[in-house]
Amino acid sequence: MKKYVIVTIIVTGIVFIQAAATMNSITDKEKLGEALFFDPILSKDSTVSCASCHRPEYAFADTSAVSIGVDGKKGIRNTPTAMNLSLGKSFFWDGRAGTLEEQALAPIKNPDEMNLAVEEAVHRLKNSKKYRGYFLKVFNIEPDRTNLAVAIAAFERTLETSDSPFDNWKFSDDSIAVSAAAKRGFVIFNGKAKCIKCHFGADFTANDFRNIGLFNGKNLNDSGRYLISKKEEDIGKFKTSSLRNVAITAPYMHNGMFKRLDDVIDFYNDTRKIVPDAINTDTLLIQPLRLTKKERYDLKAFLISLTDKRFKK
Amino acid sequence: MSYYPYRHPLIQFIIIKKEVMRILFLAVVIVGVAIADGKLTGRWQTQPSEKGNITGVVFKADNTIEGYVNKKPFVSGTYSFDPGDSILSFVDNGCNGVRGIYKVMFYCNSDSLRFNVISDSCTERKNGMLRLVMGRVK
Repeated sequence: MKKYVIVTIIVTGIVFIQAAATMNSITDKEKLGEALFFDPILSKDSTVSCASCHRPEYAFADTSAVSIGVDGKKGIRNTPTAMNLSLGKSFFWDGRAGTLEEQALAPIKNPDEMNLAVEEAVHRLKNSKKYRGYFLKVFNIEPDRTNLAVAIAAFERTLETSDSPFDNWKFSDDSIAVSAAAKRGFVIFNGKAKCIKCHFGADFTANDFRNIGLFNGKNLNDSGRYLISKKEEDIGKFKTSSLRNVAITAPYMHNGMFKRLDDVIDFYNDTRKIVPDAINTDTLLIQPLRLTKKERYDLKAFLISLTDKRFKK
Repeated sequence: MSYYPYRHPLIQFIIIKKEVMRILFLAVVIVGVAIADGKLTGRWQTQPSEKGNITGVVFKADNTIEGYVNKKPFVSGTYSFDPGDSILSFVDNGCNGVRGIYKVMFYCNSDSLRFNVISDSCTERKNGMLRLVMGRVK
């Protein structure tokens, strides 16, 4: 009996110490957001978290063409990376969210994703002693939809990468950080392949919307930005993705139709060959690029050099 | 047979002194130009913006230029700098080859600078350049 009491006291003590340690570790909105990001409490059946689709080891993207939500429901678009969003101007493939805070709540209430009304999510957090404590500590108020969004968005803003071989070459002036092929690929990226026209910026996206030839109104009938703007010129346009860590965020495009980077490069090399009946394609991409095999290889080497070292295997 | 014209020692001294002075003057000019040329060379960056973003530029000695935001390179190009007028002229990979020409205003012992546009038809770049107030990164 005495042993039983001692063991109980020790185990209880360990539990309290761990809880206290966790409580103490949530000291700011970023850490709170991280806890929420990885917690399936924000989904209807408590099985799906943000991290279920935004997988850290794949630069917070997914490895399937479209992701699976609660009840096995399939989404309709590829999960984009949740990294390197701080400089973004709009979010989602169709740009329907103007801020990260707006973006953070959308998957929670999306029936194909986490399928939980935000009010219900807030109610759960209020009823959780743990989360109620965290929110009071960080925000001095109980959980509400605003501070829920603020916390998740704050965590997402920490997901910045700037330590790729390319960064070391250009920012730190380390000329041997990248291969000769990658350097040639950068020249091609800026020149013959015209990638820079859309993928310009610190995160290799100009944050605009382009129709790259993946809409034909038939099997490719997601009209993208048009669904939000209702402007005819936006039919088939999608937000230009960041290319940081692109080598590990396959599959590619709004519908995840390309499994490999080679497929992407081959597509851009001659879009009409892959989708001959595309509608409203950007004029930049109507003519074939006529990249040689070597040029395509070098371009791919450059794209691989954009992978942050934290993902180096 | 060698021939050395006779010169009075005083005149010889004046000639030598002039020669030395000429050499010294040239040396000063060369060093001065080198220093002025190097006035822009190096890394410059802004203080954090409201959103915490830090923008920087590296003017390299080989006349290439790299721009970055939060340590992320985003623009590469080539530049020339006229130290006499502090005129910077450059092209980069973001404006379809359009050249930007700016007057560089140095202050605080040339440890800070900002740009006044002389000619730049790339509107987005011009708007960005005019907002920059940068300090030298030592």
